[in-house]
Amino acid sequence: MSKEKQQVSRRQFLNYSLMGVGGFMAAGLLVSPIRMAIDPVLKKTAAGDYANAGISVDDITTEPQRVDWTIEQVDGWYQSKPSKTAWVYKDDNDEIVALSPICTHLGCVVSWEGNDQYPDQFFCPCHGGRYEKDGTNIPGTPPLAPLAVYEQKVENGILFLGNAISRKGA
Amino acid sequence: MKWRSSDLKQYQNAKEYIDTVIIPIIPFQIDLEMLAFQSEVLTIFANEIEKELAGRVMLMPTYSYLKTVDPQSEINRINAWIANIKEQPFTNVFLLTFDANWKKNEKEVHGHLLWLPSVKSGNLQSNEMKAMIRDQTNQIIELIQVYW
Repeated sequence: MSKEKQQVSRRQFLNYSLMGVGGFMAAGLLVSPIRMAIDPVLKKTAAGDYANAGISVDDITTEPQRVDWTIEQVDGWYQSKPSKTAWVYKDDNDEIVALSPICTHLGCVVSWEGNDQYPDQFFCPCHGGRYEKDGTNIPGTPPLAPLAVYEQKVENGILFLGNAISRKGA
Repeated sequence: MKWRSSDLKQYQNAKEYIDTVIIPIIPFQIDLEMLAFQSEVLTIFANEIEKELAGRVMLMPTYSYLKTVDPQSEINRINAWIANIKEQPFTNVFLLTFDANWKKNEKEVHGHLLWLPSVKSGNLQSNEMKAMIRDQTNQIIELIQVYW
């Protein structure tokens, strides 16, 4: 056995060692592109981060009400506590709806029944954009998409809100 | 929107919708704690207003001046700012201040002066202060809407 093993010729030995070195180099080259390709999987996302909106489920009525809360946010250089706002109500099926107040036109803050002429609608003070109670934009007003909806969950009777999900235009 | 590059791009695309400018006006003297505090409060006010009316209002960089300076030279300087801003064109220019001295010379300033009764000191994080700022912000917003 041992005699046979020593029968590796010089040519074979050089081939093996070159293949080994070449293999290492190829692997080294491949590491960074592979790492980059699978990066999205490894990245921690902020999604699924729910924050306490500071309102008990029992206090939510069929009338939209404004809730304000703050979240921790690290944004490049800045660590800040931006405040967030939502309009929260229970719809006809007794399900909780949390709408983002950001007008889809240019980003003003809309308010429920913000104009006496348009009861039962969200009104944007900047350019008169209007939305139905479910957040659908009313055709003929500047906004082209419905108000975004917050991800939500209820824990111990307290409402938690996550990211605002934008919706397609009506 | 604010005076920053990303917002300016948006402004160029939607110029016809944005016709209002807010300039916070802050007097400055380095050893006066009260002025520093008022500057903080005014900055919060300005940011809150900008947040609510982001689609129609542009918040300018803060206009600062020495507390001890001659009022007439400051009136000329702010009018130069306003003249430059109105070239864009912006139709409404609001000046936000705690300094009552501006109220005296209001007629000579080519913008709408919004003088707020000042807050001398306090805790910015307290719930009372937050409620007060929220409440006053809403009133200023209503006032701005009167001009639209």
